[in-house]
Amino acid sequence: MRCHQFYKTLTRRDVLRTSAAGFAQVALAGMLGQQAGAEDTLAPNAAGPTQWAHFPTRAKRVIFLFMWGGPSHVDLFDPKPTLNAEAGKPLAGSSVGSDAKQLGTLLGSPFKFSQHGDSGVWMSELFPQLARHADQMCVIRSMHTEGNAHGEALLRLHTGQANLVRPSVGAWVSYGLGRENENLPAFITISPPRGHGGVQNYGSAFLPAAHQGTAIGSAEIPIAESVVSNLGNRRLSPALQRTQLDLIQSLNRRHLQDATTDKQIEGLISNYELAYRMQSTMPQVMDLASETQATKDLYGIDAKPTDNFGRQCLLARKFAESGVRYIQVSTDYTWDHHQKVQEGSVAESAKVDRPIAGLLEDLRRRGLLEDTLVVWGAEFGRTPMVENGDGRNHHPKAFTMWMAGGGVQGGLTHGSTDEFGYAPAENPVHMHDLHATILYALGLDHKRLTYRHAGRDFRLTDVYGNVVRDVFA
Amino acid sequence: MKPSLHTVVWACLIVSVAEPVRAQPDALEAPAATATTTAESSTAGDEYFEKHIRPILSQKCYSCHSSRANKREGGLVLDSRAGWRAGGDRGAALAPGMPDESLLIQAIRYTDENLQMPPDEPLAPGVIRDFERWVRMGAPDTRLEAIDHEAGMNVPSDPVAGRAHWAFRPLHRPPLPQVQAAGWPKTASDTFVLARLEADDLRPAPDADRRTLLRRTYFLLIGLPPNAQQVAAFLRDNREDAFERLVDQLLDSSHFGERWGRHWLDLARYADSNGLDENFLFREAWRYRNWVIDAFNADLPFDAFLLQQLAGDLLPYESIEQRDRQRTAAGFLVIGPKVLLGNNPQERVMDVADEQLDTIGKAILGQTLGCARCHDHKFDPIPTADYYALAGIMTSTHVMQQRYMLGQQRVMERLVGLGPDGNTANAAYEKYWRESKTLQARAKQGQAALDLLENGKEEELGAFAKKQAEAVAEASLDVDRPREERIAMQQKHLATLVAAATPPSIPPRAMIPSDVEQPGDEAIRLAGQFNRPGKKVPRGFLRVVSDAPAEIPKTQSGRQELAHWLTDVEHGAGSLAARVLANRVWHHLMGRGIVRTVDNLGRTGEAPSHPELLDALASRLIESDWSVKALIREIVLSRSFAMSSRHDEQAHAVDPENRLLWRAHRRRLGPEAFRDAMLAAAGTLDPKPLDSTVSYLGDQATAVGANKNRRRTDFPCRSVYLPVIRNDLPEVFDVFDFADPHATTGLRPETIVATQGLFVLNDTSVMDAARATARTLLETSCLDETGATQPASVRVERMFERILHTRPTNDEREALLTFIRQTEDRLTAEGAEEPTVQAWTVACHALFASSRFQILD
Repeated sequence: MRCHQFYKTLTRRDVLRTSAAGFAQVALAGMLGQQAGAEDTLAPNAAGPTQWAHFPTRAKRVIFLFMWGGPSHVDLFDPKPTLNAEAGKPLAGSSVGSDAKQLGTLLGSPFKFSQHGDSGVWMSELFPQLARHADQMCVIRSMHTEGNAHGEALLRLHTGQANLVRPSVGAWVSYGLGRENENLPAFITISPPRGHGGVQNYGSAFLPAAHQGTAIGSAEIPIAESVVSNLGNRRLSPALQRTQLDLIQSLNRRHLQDATTDKQIEGLISNYELAYRMQSTMPQVMDLASETQATKDLYGIDAKPTDNFGRQCLLARKFAESGVRYIQVSTDYTWDHHQKVQEGSVAESAKVDRPIAGLLEDLRRRGLLEDTLVVWGAEFGRTPMVENGDGRNHHPKAFTMWMAGGGVQGGLTHGSTDEFGYAPAENPVHMHDLHATILYALGLDHKRLTYRHAGRDFRLTDVYGNVVRDVFA
Repeated sequence: MKPSLHTVVWACLIVSVAEPVRAQPDALEAPAATATTTAESSTAGDEYFEKHIRPILSQKCYSCHSSRANKREGGLVLDSRAGWRAGGDRGAALAPGMPDESLLIQAIRYTDENLQMPPDEPLAPGVIRDFERWVRMGAPDTRLEAIDHEAGMNVPSDPVAGRAHWAFRPLHRPPLPQVQAAGWPKTASDTFVLARLEADDLRPAPDADRRTLLRRTYFLLIGLPPNAQQVAAFLRDNREDAFERLVDQLLDSSHFGERWGRHWLDLARYADSNGLDENFLFREAWRYRNWVIDAFNADLPFDAFLLQQLAGDLLPYESIEQRDRQRTAAGFLVIGPKVLLGNNPQERVMDVADEQLDTIGKAILGQTLGCARCHDHKFDPIPTADYYALAGIMTSTHVMQQRYMLGQQRVMERLVGLGPDGNTANAAYEKYWRESKTLQARAKQGQAALDLLENGKEEELGAFAKKQAEAVAEASLDVDRPREERIAMQQKHLATLVAAATPPSIPPRAMIPSDVEQPGDEAIRLAGQFNRPGKKVPRGFLRVVSDAPAEIPKTQSGRQELAHWLTDVEHGAGSLAARVLANRVWHHLMGRGIVRTVDNLGRTGEAPSHPELLDALASRLIESDWSVKALIREIVLSRSFAMSSRHDEQAHAVDPENRLLWRAHRRRLGPEAFRDAMLAAAGTLDPKPLDSTVSYLGDQATAVGANKNRRRTDFPCRSVYLPVIRNDLPEVFDVFDFADPHATTGLRPETIVATQGLFVLNDTSVMDAARATARTLLETSCLDETGATQPASVRVERMFERILHTRPTNDEREALLTFIRQTEDRLTAEGAEEPTVQAWTVACHALFASSRFQILD
């Protein structure tokens, strides 16, 4: 469903661009936009740049690796010798300001940090496999956002807002880039969280429903047991279902004949064919049996504790290869270490380290890494201060995310935090900036990728966001 | 709308206007340091301005602040000297000579996080220094003084000028227009429709055939298809008023409220859970849902309907039942989605008010009130002051309370006990949860004491009783009594403790608001930010409607007055509300609104296609004392409603979108009618109303961590009673464009997406309904009078009629017969069980999937 390229939507856009008649027409176009899903879905597809291509395209697709719960940046990517030196003392320092008293005492990180690759990117010992890809990674240490609780922070991460329902990043990408493979959705989310905003985190809100993320399973279900809802019939053989579909379509065509012409009936007819093609294409893509043992090993499939996330990451690669535009992979709600942050970080890193390294390696070998933007991160980080004796609390003020591929400058560390990892020190990157930057990598201008709804233009970044150009090569 | 900082700070800050002060240019800083005469310095200043300032203003500022481009963000224009002198809503933009006092300089320095210009990225440090120098020089400006900041200015938010917008004008009742085809109209509406068609040389489509009309009327009035007897009875009925009788019968049906109540529930953003960040269950929301259904069935006049929803808790009552009904209605204010965790309590109060105003604005007034939270409305005549006048009413209302849930004290939706002793029962229930940890600990201690007693550990028991007196029965400590008796006493005491520690059942209660103890006016929040209060505004209503001040008693929130104002035709928004409602009714019956943007009758909405018709319908509504049923009846009995959906090439060329109504709009069934119709065909639909369909869920409505809660959808009830869990809708709802229950939805999107095709082709609920339909057909309805099986061709006709309410053509009958025969053969060859039932099942399934079933002609 490459958007806005054919007569119907073009007409709608034309109204927006050329109308001198003012708002009545613009608003009408917006209203009709709500009903444009049919055309969007049914338009022929192509991989070429759309009218939204504002910038040179660095990446054609995104894989977002979501660590639900909030990993501790000071234990993984942001080494803080001062934090270790002052462990047990109250947090103090210039960036803390008047909050200091109520914030509690510092908890050092027991993990060894070292520099990796030619570029010398710092990582803790918890990501030994990933460390081998250091020269491909751009680590952003100065992320910050709002939302002290998971729900709000998840919604901000995925949609930019929390108190209003807004389209998710993937839906905007689908809207902006359209479909590369007509038999697959443009936005797929693997094992998404059901709570903390749930479907809102991959919803299309007021964008046409075709841009909603297609969910495979949900976070609490192992991926090996997950299915896409109704992707295949459990009672009818494929041959029988095809003859049934032929009957349905012949009835529909008769109805259409009686009607002479009707967009809805026509839409229904094309849509059944699309659905039917999708239900044969998706399972093919999702079938891991066709992968070699070597590939599976690369991801840690069939091995503990990497099997589940390994399968998720391999699926992500297969979708990327098949032309899906935005793929999210989520862990279960396992990174929320209010207690035992040390043990928790060890255990959770072990689950994802090899799969993520395998994904980067696999993408690289297949020549996909250069136009696939891989983003790793979470709704927030964790406090440098201690909670419950050996845990860390939520920390939206500063945390780390990293990117790789998709035109990103590998081996770069962007931004920094203060000596404790409490607040950004240099080049702060807000969640809105991250969104603007992801769109920029895809050739989309976050200020110009808009959708008219309820009388005004909306965009992913609302009125915020600056592209972090420095992260690109 | 969410506060959008950069664009609104100028608009919302009210700062005393600083008189421009001319200061001497700083000799050291001035570019021509040697210049001494005024003329020379002025020339130098002008040059400086032209070289360093003007290009930046034009590149970076005019896009939002230019009178020529009519861009006045925050009321500020920067393309003339007068513009910055007059300043924006916050006052003068510059204090010449004093950069530190100048708002513009403050803004470009980016030091105040709430005032940062240009909003996208800061100017280069050198440029900022240029501006500072320029202001120190006295801000010389070569541009013409002639552009008057106010001249020709058209402020969209001006409430007085806004009265000229069509939706705010008084209702207009012109005489019926002349029409050529005078025999066609049956009602006044028809005359308006016909006159408009004739003006474009168009003719209305012929009447729909009786079967089509019957199916359409059933679905649109009660959301269900007619059954075979109902079809037959109507087709047999030759009386002149057969259709009228049918319509009255459907309006009297209790299923009417289930269809039309749902339309209101779309507007009321009804849901059984909070949604957003923390999806806590709204265990009692169903009472409001059923109140809405009952209200539509009873044809509760719309003004009373609104009054109870906005102020039902404040109204007088004659019985406890009436009190509870009215209170339950006010759940309308409570059921909105709210960010529940981690945010500031004050922020939450303002967010909740915003959510309520957004809902009231869109649902009742067709206005985007929420846009005026951060700045004067950019398109509609709603100044920020009016928004906060209304907000004061909402912030004088409690919809939240502290309650214990999941082991913590939380801020939750407000619940009130129902029935004569509702308050006591509710208080007792809440008290249990506050004390449950203590009570459970005490029960354990009681058991421990009993153990000590039974084991004869007298000394330890004594010590224990000193510490945990309440866990030990006094009599059981009395060593003079026989041991058996002491044990019995403690056992009895333990039983009481255990009973006290057992969670009580939930008493009947509902989501109900109340006035706060000290209602008061609200302060304008600068830039919409809760922590930046500005000037207080007296509570009141929209000035675009009327200047008359609201008369709100000091001790009340003003919700009653607001509700009355909303439907007050003389002094309030009655005409507007009537237009909005009449348009919605037309939209639901005819497929498109007269104004198609049904939630937006503002300037960014669409203009009415038939303004006089809309006013006529609105007037009828008011004249009938706001009877929704009367308005529906009038429209359904019109000839316009009864048109066929037949295509007409000529009309299509003139009016491809059918705005003028030259034919009936085809429309999708929507998820509820789709599901209900399948179950009805299957004979498995339970038509009885239902109470809660979420009571089995825990306090979190969707899964987080160990919680595996999932709403069920396997109730055989009508779809309106299925759980509406925000962010976890039943799949059939999610796939077929159910209203997102986070916000008012008057116009559901009509998308065609692959998931719909997959659902229809593969979902077990569809196949189950098909199988039940097939069984019924084979077992009962296809027997003739003697009980003998009818031939397959007759069965196919029955199947067609049962599902599609029409007869198959010969072609269609033959196609189905062939399909069923071949399928049966195939299944038999494969050794399938019940090949006949299966073959008919697959055929019924195909009819459910067909466009004739899914689309109303």
